[in-house]
Amino acid sequence: MAEQQTEFLWKVGAPAGQGVMTTGLLFSKLCAQSGGQVFDYAEYPSLIQGGHNTYEVLCSNTPAHNRQWQVDYLVCLDAITLKEHEHRLDASSIVVLDPATSSAPTNPAYTIVPLPVKELLAELKASSIMANMIALGASWALVGGDQKHLVELIAEQFGKKGEEVVNLNQNCAARGYEAVKSALPDHAVFAWKDTTETPLVMGGNDAFSLAAAAADCRFYAAYPMTPSSSVLATLAAWQKTTGMVVRHAEDEVGVISEALGASFAGVRACVGTSGGGFALMTESISYAGIAEIPIVIFLSQRPGPATGLPTATEQGDLLFATYAGHGEFPKIVLAPGDVTEMLELSRHAFDLADIYQTPVIVLSDKFLSESRMHLDQTVAEQVMATKPNYGRTIHNPSELPYLRYKVTEDGISERLIPGAAGTYYQANSYEHLEDSHTTEDPTERCRQVEKRLQKQQTYLDHHWLMPSIDGSLDGAKYVFVTWGSSKLVVQQARQLLDEPTAHIHFTHVYPMDREKVATLFAADRHYVLVENNATGQFGTLLRSEAGVDIKHTIHKYDGRAFYSEEIVAALEQHDR
Amino acid sequence: MIDSQPSSLDFTGYTPTWCAGCGNWGIGKGIELALKKQQLSPDSVIMLFDIGCSGNMNDFINAYAMHTLHGRALATAVGVKIANHKLPVLVTGGDGALYGEGGNHFLHACRGNHDLTVIVHDNSVYGLTTGQVSPTASKGKKSKSTPSGIIERPVNPLLLALTQGATFVAQGFTAQLPQLAELITAGMQHKGLSIINVLQPCVTFNKENTYAYYIKNTYKLPEDHDKSNFSQALEQAQAVFEERFPLGILYQAERPSYQDELPQLASEALVNKQRFLNNSALLKQFT
Ligand SMILES: Cc1ncc(C[n+]2csc(CCOP(=O)(O)OP(=O)(O)O)c2C)c(N)n1
Ligand code: SF4
Repeated sequence: MAEQQTEFLWKVGAPAGQGVMTTGLLFSKLCAQSGGQVFDYAEYPSLIQGGHNTYEVLCSNTPAHNRQWQVDYLVCLDAITLKEHEHRLDASSIVVLDPATSSAPTNPAYTIVPLPVKELLAELKASSIMANMIALGASWALVGGDQKHLVELIAEQFGKKGEEVVNLNQNCAARGYEAVKSALPDHAVFAWKDTTETPLVMGGNDAFSLAAAAADCRFYAAYPMTPSSSVLATLAAWQKTTGMVVRHAEDEVGVISEALGASFAGVRACVGTSGGGFALMTESISYAGIAEIPIVIFLSQRPGPATGLPTATEQGDLLFATYAGHGEFPKIVLAPGDVTEMLELSRHAFDLADIYQTPVIVLSDKFLSESRMHLDQTVAEQVMATKPNYGRTIHNPSELPYLRYKVTEDGISERLIPGAAGTYYQANSYEHLEDSHTTEDPTERCRQVEKRLQKQQTYLDHHWLMPSIDGSLDGAKYVFVTWGSSKLVVQQARQLLDEPTAHIHFTHVYPMDREKVATLFAADRHYVLVENNATGQFGTLLRSEAGVDIKHTIHKYDGRAFYSEEIVAALEQHDR
Repeated sequence: MIDSQPSSLDFTGYTPTWCAGCGNWGIGKGIELALKKQQLSPDSVIMLFDIGCSGNMNDFINAYAMHTLHGRALATAVGVKIANHKLPVLVTGGDGALYGEGGNHFLHACRGNHDLTVIVHDNSVYGLTTGQVSPTASKGKKSKSTPSGIIERPVNPLLLALTQGATFVAQGFTAQLPQLAELITAGMQHKGLSIINVLQPCVTFNKENTYAYYIKNTYKLPEDHDKSNFSQALEQAQAVFEERFPLGILYQAERPSYQDELPQLASEALVNKQRFLNNSALLKQFT
């Protein structure tokens, strides 16, 4: 009996267009269905053909939060895979490659298992794309998975395409499985659990899509832009089920204009984009601000400036999102750190947009949008079943004359859905009177400015949430501070550190309550701000919004997410 | 027919701030006449006003309305109509807004055949920003922004709308009020995108395209003009290149509107539908 593993990182690499995403997704499903906790991440260049794609799965006995530097199993479907990832291998790593396409190094510092993909394909009379199934079978044998699960999953996955397709895929996978099994009869394999549960595994974009559907969002508009595009595809595919209208409009200006129109007419509306598209939307965000039109904006960041690194990740648009739109008006920015927070906050974003009648931005990034991780079924069901809070949305005027922009103590006025009999009003982009007519009167101008800004204070008093705190701030050698997706790496890094640490994680990043936030920061503690960007944008925000200045910061801006080992190394270097 | 009850609400809002003699007065009146003729009331219609002298009508006509951003009234209207296709939706804006700043939205609204009525105040200048050339200005026209004369040729709005797929294309002249009101009514009754280009003298900043100029250069479509004939419509639209401006409905075709083709809107307006509740159907895709 071989020794058992509690965690491993598996990675597959192949030329683009070779179906490596399918191999990765199915491998991850096998792991999750066999009791592993998974965290997957795919990397691909901004090319359709000719690039190099990879998919990695971290599988663990305990919750998996992030990627891991060391690759335990590397499955190479081309020569580049080994070259690009060799530096992440060590003595215990196992590399699977086809001697016919990749030359195996002499005296490698790791184990090599030959997998004669080309030969097997010829024998099976299968096309070259089927290499991904041979790789899947081989991978499943590598980690000691049960062949029965493999056979079943393939049947389920390809069942719709007919028996012939299922058989071919199963045969290819079986040959891959057997090849590794016979080459490696006895090695440390993962401690799989017998489970009947099928856990929920999804990426941030999936969680956002679920939240939108559950939140009674009836109109979603977008113009494709990585890494937000899969929300458009997902919601579009669900239209028949949900009844939502999903529009691929002509450009991002059209996208948000349409959404504002739909919102004015009374349906919850949302748009999704990345930095460039968001930039085009900013004038309309300002319109939503003055006309007090609810709108949820999903902004999945990728590295800029301009077209930047389209398929890479960065937390580079926090300040842009926060300050987007000309003029002064309230805006709420939420930054979930994992899929659970994505579901909860996005669901809540639609309520906040209605309650405060102003733009609400949900910030994601490529890493969070596309990494797949576990989400508790009960939590998911609960969040999705929450009844919408439409705030002061009304269908009949409570008094006449109806004043759309009535000045109130909390800044919020009743928003009448157009079509109600006996009155009318306009959503006016000019400064206006309480009854919505245009005005240039200085007194009325000030009243409306103050009314709108009051909503920000009302939000801070009623719905803003303090950051979550994990660990004890007192006695912690390091207190990590994160926002958005850098939560994931810090969670993982803390497990690698022996010293006591704590973690302050912000989700309600803008606006924030100055006094309350300041109470978390004491002069004698060592705070470390971790941001996936070059300039420390949350650090800037903390200085301006809370008067807090964190000196020790860790940044990464090469377009890749952090590895937990990098955090540990950065701390060691700092202490040296 | 549009089902609505007349109410005591009145369309007449603030007294317009347009210059005396401005062509916008006639368009405002034409819209009001058309709305009244259809027995609509301010609570049973949604209007979208662009930004410009034309868009300032937001305060002069009472209705559920959005006074949008410059160039965005049409795109915004697309969303309004999808959310509530039971209410008539009217868009008004200048030629700068609809053919320039929002030109891309114009093309795509035509393609989509959204069930909207678009009234373009075509005065060949940017009125509100004091008279720079607009996309319909004649080649060589001198203005503050083109002191040596504009190099570009003018946009031909009728041809543009026709070739991009609008299913109702008409031209009116603000000085011919009864016809204008009829065109607007017909456009609103039409299912699909209606484009009504209205020749509108800007008496303050456009000394060429005056009332006299349009009286001289407009003509009624011939008696035998067949508005269902696309080729005839194209032919009439080309007269504009010779500074001849046809008045009337150039083209009208039956084609399902964007809203007709959305199964989500088959039973009732999106805004009035029951909320989606079957969350488990979606969740199970992630196991
Ligand atoms: C984004 C933006 N750019 C510029 C302006 C300034 N502006 C207001 S109206 C207008 C042009 C108006 O011309 P047109 O649309 O033809 O309408 P008209 O005033 O002639 O009725 C411009 C450039 C603006 N409000 N917003
Ligand atoms: S500037 Fe021209 S378009 Fe504007 S109101 Fe005066 S005449 Fe009319």
